[in-house]
Amino acid sequence: MRAKGPGVFERELGAEDLEDRLMLTTVEKAVAWAQGSSIWPDTFGLACCAMEMIAVVSPRYDIARFGAEVFRSSPRQADLLIVSGRVSHKMAAPLRQIYDQMLEPKWVIAMGACASSGGMFSNYAVLQGVDKIVSVDVHVPGCPPRPEALLEGIVRLQEKIKAGVPPAYEIRGVAQ
Amino acid sequence: MAVAERPAAKPIYEGTRIPAPIPTMLQVDPALREQGDILEVNFGPNHPSTHGVLRLVVELNGERVVGLTAVIGYLHTGFEKNMEQKTWWKAITYPARIDYLSFQMNELVFVLAIEKLLEIEPPPKATWMRMLMCELTRIHSHLIWLGTAALEIGAISMLWYCFRDRDAILDLFELVTGVRMHTRYFQTGGLAEDIPPGFYDECRSFVGLMQQRIDDYEAILDRQQIWLERTKGLGLLSAEDAIALGQSGPVLRASGVDWDLRRAEPHLAYDQVEFNVPVYFNGDVYDRYRVHMDEMRESTRIIGQAVEGMPEGPWIVDDRKIVLPPRHELHTSMESLIHHFKLVTEGYRVPEGEVYVAVESARGELGCYVVSDGGPKPWRVKFRAPSFVALEATATCMSDALVADLIAIVGSLDTVMGEVDR
Amino acid sequence: MTWEAVPGFVHEVDARGETTVVVERERLLDAARWLRDEAGFNFLADITPTDYHGWNQERVSGYWGDAGGRDINAPGSWGLQHQPEAKRSRFSVSYHLLRLRAGANEAPRLRLQVWCEDGEPVESVVSVWPTADWHEREAWDMMGIRFEGHPNLTRILMDDDWEGHPLRKDYPLGGEPVRFSGEE
Repeated sequence: MRAKGPGVFERELGAEDLEDRLMLTTVEKAVAWAQGSSIWPDTFGLACCAMEMIAVVSPRYDIARFGAEVFRSSPRQADLLIVSGRVSHKMAAPLRQIYDQMLEPKWVIAMGACASSGGMFSNYAVLQGVDKIVSVDVHVPGCPPRPEALLEGIVRLQEKIKAGVPPAYEIRGVAQ
Repeated sequence: MAVAERPAAKPIYEGTRIPAPIPTMLQVDPALREQGDILEVNFGPNHPSTHGVLRLVVELNGERVVGLTAVIGYLHTGFEKNMEQKTWWKAITYPARIDYLSFQMNELVFVLAIEKLLEIEPPPKATWMRMLMCELTRIHSHLIWLGTAALEIGAISMLWYCFRDRDAILDLFELVTGVRMHTRYFQTGGLAEDIPPGFYDECRSFVGLMQQRIDDYEAILDRQQIWLERTKGLGLLSAEDAIALGQSGPVLRASGVDWDLRRAEPHLAYDQVEFNVPVYFNGDVYDRYRVHMDEMRESTRIIGQAVEGMPEGPWIVDDRKIVLPPRHELHTSMESLIHHFKLVTEGYRVPEGEVYVAVESARGELGCYVVSDGGPKPWRVKFRAPSFVALEATATCMSDALVADLIAIVGSLDTVMGEVDR
Repeated sequence: MTWEAVPGFVHEVDARGETTVVVERERLLDAARWLRDEAGFNFLADITPTDYHGWNQERVSGYWGDAGGRDINAPGSWGLQHQPEAKRSRFSVSYHLLRLRAGANEAPRLRLQVWCEDGEPVESVVSVWPTADWHEREAWDMMGIRFEGHPNLTRILMDDDWEGHPLRKDYPLGGEPVRFSGEE
């Protein structure tokens, strides 16, 4: 294949290294592009944020244009866990179990104030942030976040994936 | 408007189907267990069809459900304890998140309880607007119920249609209050802000739109043979069992009991608007669906009347010990400045006493029991959640159900787990 | 209507349009049956336990003073202080009853109340109103009030192995203190 003038990859890599690095780097980039553009979320709606998560699926906000409308019920088929809603201590164990059942690579979005930090419920019953038990990639603030805010979170996650940032569990563990 | 397919005198089933000794748990017959064919299946808490984090431990004999236990508490948030630590004003933010589908009704019941303790009467404009917002919330809740319940039975397109209309309602909420969900628009003594000028026209066009849409949804579902087969004759609950189990709202009305708190114990301005109370007599999933659809129609009627009949005047009561003074007065009046300061820092005080206020929420009787010790914070707040009680009826409704009907029946009880677990 | 005919009647309070009938703890089941069968209160809306631990002590929820006056140097005090009267015991259990008649245009309500101390059991009314099942389990879970005769008194909202009863006044709120960036 003969490119007509330097393309993106040649500009980035430098034309002299092109022959050495063409296959490896572009496969990574291509895989990252494919993963980011077809993230399959898991149906993990817990509370009020779940309503806005379903609104993101609805025709007006349409998550399908970001490739993510296929919400899988089984965690084994999902890549993205959108924790939408307050996580009580009783629910923390099932949440971790679902997260463990997901296959790698997997990403987590903590949607809403309750999932990010416990929200307005600083008490005995609510886990103060889901990042205490799973590694979170993107926190989306709001109570509940507007569907556009969740889409912003998903777009940022896509940008992270396409830029080659590894999923959160490879970079950091859980919060203390 | 009661559409009787079965004369009211004939009961849905003879006797009672409430299990004994534990009314909320269906237990397997020991003789059946001896045969060794019982399969124990765990539904949830993370399950696409259980409407939130409900866990059902089901024991099956083939396809038939012979044992059922509902395990709840996966969304327990400690609302009541948190609200005891906040001042009355700040505490109003919490109830909306309890029943997150009909959020304004929770705010309403708490604010009505505070006003009952304070013995103040909000101005008529506030009362009518509260009624309008609550009816919009009722339609919102029923639309989500319809979308998700139909999705689980298999009528997937209903989800898209219902959420499209839900967005129309949330646009109205955003117009009035600035937020889509959890609006915190009701304030002790009235409303937080005046009604914006463009609201009435938008509301009228919504009313016209909604009436057509409800007819469309009925056209999609009512003549669908699969829908009828999957909903008729399932999840039977007789009137006596329903009252004994504390059911209210659509579940009670679908079992033939003509009871609506908006008519029996009119709060807000329900005694000044005309609406019918839909009652059906078969006590099955189909009748609960019909009650929901008819309630949406009646709510649309009430909203139309409220828009036309909205009185003029102040939107909040004028008592400076409870309500913030208008901003412009702070520049000129020392008393207003002091009142503002005390209200913002310490909050108002509510006289000592205990009250129980109940409203007709989308799911039934939503009650709030408040104990005040005379100080700036509540002493005890308890919300009587209709979904908590509706889940108690699962064992009775499931007396002779197949596992495929389980989802339809649990869906028809219209439970919101935030309310169940509080 | 006078409620003195209720078995175990102790006291009646009428305030703000609501009637509260206090009965002796030991006669609760008789009172419940009487109210359901004779007075027609067939609908139990709610069972609410309340903990009055620390009710009329000084410095509870903004009372900086006693019946003699207020402490002007303490914040949040305005007007002459009024201490609430002491309650008869630590816990009260309120049963919110309703007379539900189909087609009716009125909703007569009644609050049946019993008082108990920590550790004293209350009779279960599951045999009178089956809906009491989960309400009593929640009262046990949240407040630690034991209901005698309940078929399945286990935790319902908290984990099965949770210790303590969260809604009691001596149970801490919990949660996490806010950590500010810049302090370490």
